[in-house]
Amino acid sequence: MSNSVAQNVRTFETHPEATVPAESPLAWSYHHSGRPGVSAKSCVVLRERAMLGHMILRGGAIVLDEAVRQVLGVGLPARPNGLTRDESGERSIQWLSPDEWLLIVPGGEEFALEAKLREALGDAHYAIVNVSGGQTLLELEGEKARELLMKSTPYDVHPDAFPVGKGVTTVFAKSNLILRRPDEQRWELVVRRSFADYLYRWLLDAGAEYAIGVEA
Amino acid sequence: MSQSLKQPNRLREGGRVDRARTLSFTFNGTRYQGHAGDTLASALLANGVDIVNRSFKYSRPRGIVAAGAEEPNALVQLGSTEAAQVPNVRATQQVLFDGLTAQSTNGWPNVQRDVMSLVGKLGGRFMPPGFYYKTFMAPASMWMTYEKYIRKGAGLGRSPMENDPDSYDHLHQHCDLLVIGAGPAGLSAAQTAARGGARVILCDEQEEMGGSLLDSRELLDHQPAAQWAERVIDELAALDNVTLLARTTANGYHDHHFVTLHERRTEHLGETAPLVDGVRPARSRMHRVRAGQVLLATGAHERPLVYGNNDVPGNLLAGAVSTYIRRYGVVPGNRLVLSTSNDHAYRAALDWDEAGREVVAIVDARQAPDGEWVEQARARGIRIITGSAVLEAKGDKRVSGARVATIDAEAFKVTGQAETLACDTIASSGGYSPVIHLASHTGARPIWNDEILGFVPSLVKGVHAAGSARGIHDLAEGLADGSAAAARALAALDLSAGTLELPQVDARREGATCALYQVPHEKPTLRGPKQFVDLQNDVTAAAIELATREGFESIEHVKRYTAMGFGTDQGKLGNINGMAIAARCLNRTIPEVGTTVFRPNYTPVTFGAIAGRHCRELFDPERYTAMHQWHVEHGAEFEDVGQWKRPWYFPKNVNGKLETLDEAVARECLAVRQGVGVLDASTLGKIDIQGPDAREFLGRVYTNKWAKLAPGRVRYGLMCKDDGMLMDDGTTSCLGENHFLMTTTTGGAAGVMEWLELWHQTEWPELDVTFTSVTDHWATITVTGPEARKLLAEITDIDLDKEQFKFMDWREGKVAEVPARVFRISFTGELAYEINVQANYAMHVWKTLFAHGEKYDLTPYGTETMHVLRAEKGLIIAGQDTDGSVTPEDLGMHWAIGYDKPFPWIGKRALSRPDTRRVDRKQLVGLKPRDPAVVLEEGAQIVLDPDHAIPMPMVGHVTSSYYSAILGHGIALAVVKGGHNRMGETVYLPMVDGQVHEAEIVSNVFYDPKGERQHV
Repeated sequence: MSNSVAQNVRTFETHPEATVPAESPLAWSYHHSGRPGVSAKSCVVLRERAMLGHMILRGGAIVLDEAVRQVLGVGLPARPNGLTRDESGERSIQWLSPDEWLLIVPGGEEFALEAKLREALGDAHYAIVNVSGGQTLLELEGEKARELLMKSTPYDVHPDAFPVGKGVTTVFAKSNLILRRPDEQRWELVVRRSFADYLYRWLLDAGAEYAIGVEA
Repeated sequence: MSQSLKQPNRLREGGRVDRARTLSFTFNGTRYQGHAGDTLASALLANGVDIVNRSFKYSRPRGIVAAGAEEPNALVQLGSTEAAQVPNVRATQQVLFDGLTAQSTNGWPNVQRDVMSLVGKLGGRFMPPGFYYKTFMAPASMWMTYEKYIRKGAGLGRSPMENDPDSYDHLHQHCDLLVIGAGPAGLSAAQTAARGGARVILCDEQEEMGGSLLDSRELLDHQPAAQWAERVIDELAALDNVTLLARTTANGYHDHHFVTLHERRTEHLGETAPLVDGVRPARSRMHRVRAGQVLLATGAHERPLVYGNNDVPGNLLAGAVSTYIRRYGVVPGNRLVLSTSNDHAYRAALDWDEAGREVVAIVDARQAPDGEWVEQARARGIRIITGSAVLEAKGDKRVSGARVATIDAEAFKVTGQAETLACDTIASSGGYSPVIHLASHTGARPIWNDEILGFVPSLVKGVHAAGSARGIHDLAEGLADGSAAAARALAALDLSAGTLELPQVDARREGATCALYQVPHEKPTLRGPKQFVDLQNDVTAAAIELATREGFESIEHVKRYTAMGFGTDQGKLGNINGMAIAARCLNRTIPEVGTTVFRPNYTPVTFGAIAGRHCRELFDPERYTAMHQWHVEHGAEFEDVGQWKRPWYFPKNVNGKLETLDEAVARECLAVRQGVGVLDASTLGKIDIQGPDAREFLGRVYTNKWAKLAPGRVRYGLMCKDDGMLMDDGTTSCLGENHFLMTTTTGGAAGVMEWLELWHQTEWPELDVTFTSVTDHWATITVTGPEARKLLAEITDIDLDKEQFKFMDWREGKVAEVPARVFRISFTGELAYEINVQANYAMHVWKTLFAHGEKYDLTPYGTETMHVLRAEKGLIIAGQDTDGSVTPEDLGMHWAIGYDKPFPWIGKRALSRPDTRRVDRKQLVGLKPRDPAVVLEEGAQIVLDPDHAIPMPMVGHVTSSYYSAILGHGIALAVVKGGHNRMGETVYLPMVDGQVHEAEIVSNVFYDPKGERQHV
């Protein structure tokens, strides 16, 4: 379960081989606050994409770009606040800060991916940190999704200011999260585990007038 | 409850109200009727209600003066039920709805018969400015008594005592251009910008957009001006790049073009938002606008003239008279006298005449007025008295006459014999003051403009003003000005403006305005009838004169001494007149006297709108761990630690009774000391540190040494600020040669992360190291107690042999089938294992522990037990036993300070200062109360001699104190001056109730002083 590809850093496979019940950060919220159904009136639909692999990449852009390109077939976003995805749309890389990117991949891929990246990176200065247990991804869709965001974040979410392929870390209600726009229809919210319930309750409350529904 | 169905002052036709829709409402207990489209004020006037309030200080009867936000008198309390109470609503801004219930905010027992008015009548000499200060502040102890009655007499509304059933909202908006005010300049500006494709927000505080165009006599493109306004609004509404916000007041202009707009969304529909599809929409919404550029098209407020008894009901602004007639179809009286200094106000007389009521006279301060409207009035045979003004209103509860005489405004003298004209309404106009409040919020001082006799806004970068807001009162010029200002604003953003054909305005000849503020009286100001300057705050011309005589020469001082422009009024009507009076008394010009500044908010905003949805369960984020549901289901009481909800203790039901905190904690403590307990420690901050220089970095931020910590080992570390004071502590594990996992206190996590980044980014960027928060990624489960090994061994493949897995080691393996890192560290002094697993699997591991733990009576414990157990071991909590003034030396932790490390770590320099080397610093010690039953109070002060005269020299205080179940007596940690050298001495703790506790200074390690139990 452990691996020391780069000897000096201890990587760690967090997933059990056996089948073990896992709970998303919203398990308690679904139990406690429920999931309002999606109806014809729902102008906003909320969907959790739980149990994905989330990793933080730190280092120089040029070196990381090469390694990521080699391993994932898609490079780092060329600009600050950029978001790129591979062809399947299942794997994404987002600029977080000048030497920091967020990699999101299907759950379970992260350990092998880290090993491959470390191999490709060799002696370069970089860090890779698995944060999969610490965050979850929510999707918002629907004609009122943008207005719901306007209730929540001071960031400008108008399409002129927030085109597809952009992602930011920003204030959201009294917390913060990563907000991104992978395509025309959807907004993605990457939220921290411990704040997930607060944000879920916020979204249900602010979304009530849009008959927000939660897709199971 | 009497009922009045007639609306004696309602015209048969005209105005924008819908006479087919009759609405009933209640004011001060009486039922009335109005129409859809009315404001509460227009409906009250239609019903002939003269007195709407009592004045703040003198309790004089007051009526409606204005038709908009500048109304000083008609402040009402809304709400038919307790929960729906809303104070300080201007009747002029409250749209009428069926069933509206309102009351005057002042007046006790009621507005018609008022106890306080006696004080007001005796008035002047008894209540000069500074009256309250001078009269009631001495003796100081009595102020609270006086105040209760003063407040009762002069209430300013009250807040509801029940929960508000409504919800409120915020909406963050961004735009290229925010246009405030949808009058002629605002509309042409918005249209210009919108046609160019810019993102535009246009807001207006009134029910309908259009501003002065809605009641103007003037024509645009040969049609009533309101029709042009409607066309423009329709065009704007159809555009995607435009947001139109009616019923929305721009209340505050903050830094960087951040403007707060208060939109009243349902207040025109009812006192509580009506349900829509089972959901109650937000009653009002705060739009938090970040604008590229801002255009102020806020128009102007008409300035009343200051004459005797100008506050008696029936004294109105000239423009308000026109607005009530033309917009609401209401004539607020029968016989009008108009007192004016300008041409524009003549429209009030023309409108009044057209409404079929009598214009007694127009009293014009100018010698030879000759504008077009003047000619029209003459042609109708209206009497015009030139070179004169209304000196004084007659009447008590309603105007009954106007004393008129010729005056010399410049010499401030009455020059002729006064004549009394019988009338019931006096309209006055002293010109127009641009509404410069919002520009003033930015800190820009207004500039006096002699041509328009008013202040115009000075503008910071990115702010523009257009039309009346900058003194351009002519309609044609205002329309053009709005469009040009929008083009300028867009040019500043490198955006292009659209093209616009301005509507045609018929040219109208207008004569010059003369400067008249306070009207002279035969008697000196201090002796004559009261001439009100600020009606809301009851400030008179005499008060301002007196203030200047008492030496208050700065206008800011005059304001504070007299209360002019205070409160919700913010000087809308009175400020310019007040400055003019101060200028006259001080023999200066108005610009020399200067102006006070206007503050947010422009009009009152409900707390609900400010709070938005940040209330009740959403007031503050609550952070939960992965085991939260288990804690809730097992009856945990929770404690707030930062934003985390941590289990505080787990009370059990014993013989049908729930344990108290003390009972539960004693049981939980003994379970850990004698069996095994489990703690959810997931909230501890965790930072993953990687890089070839990680070890070096740790050596610089921690006081102790990190050079030789081997992979597989853990070390406790102390972190100081650069002043040498303890900041945070925790364990850091060496995962690999270049890889560490740092833990921090729960509350200190974010601060430590920032601290590491700060030093790395600003001081040591050459170090190759990165920090990533993994607090939420890992869930942490602490299993501790003599039985911990046996329990854990059942569900792990890790070799727990005490020689293989020693204290301060960590190992990898599986716990309950889940990959885990297990750290043998102890905050209890017992054998302990901290298990880290990926948080999504944590609940499974937690439950598995309990499945196996039953036979060991595995006991969940919370933060309170954790605190007791660590205190028994003398382990500190940063932030409880330290307060930013405690060094590691003070804590007796010399063993954790590496003075000989090659690189000077943070705090080292400070720890060699004479002050930090003093031997009489407050040092951490243990206190053992002489009486074993006593648990000292945390925060209690420590003295050496209880018989010393008061004030006794205090030598320290208790930082932590608990009852120790295992020891059978109270224990405490304390800081005491020179405490390390006072072992065995007796100290005293005098309590508030007179008791004095006695305690012995002992080592801070109370239990297992050799530390053997954690090594077993």
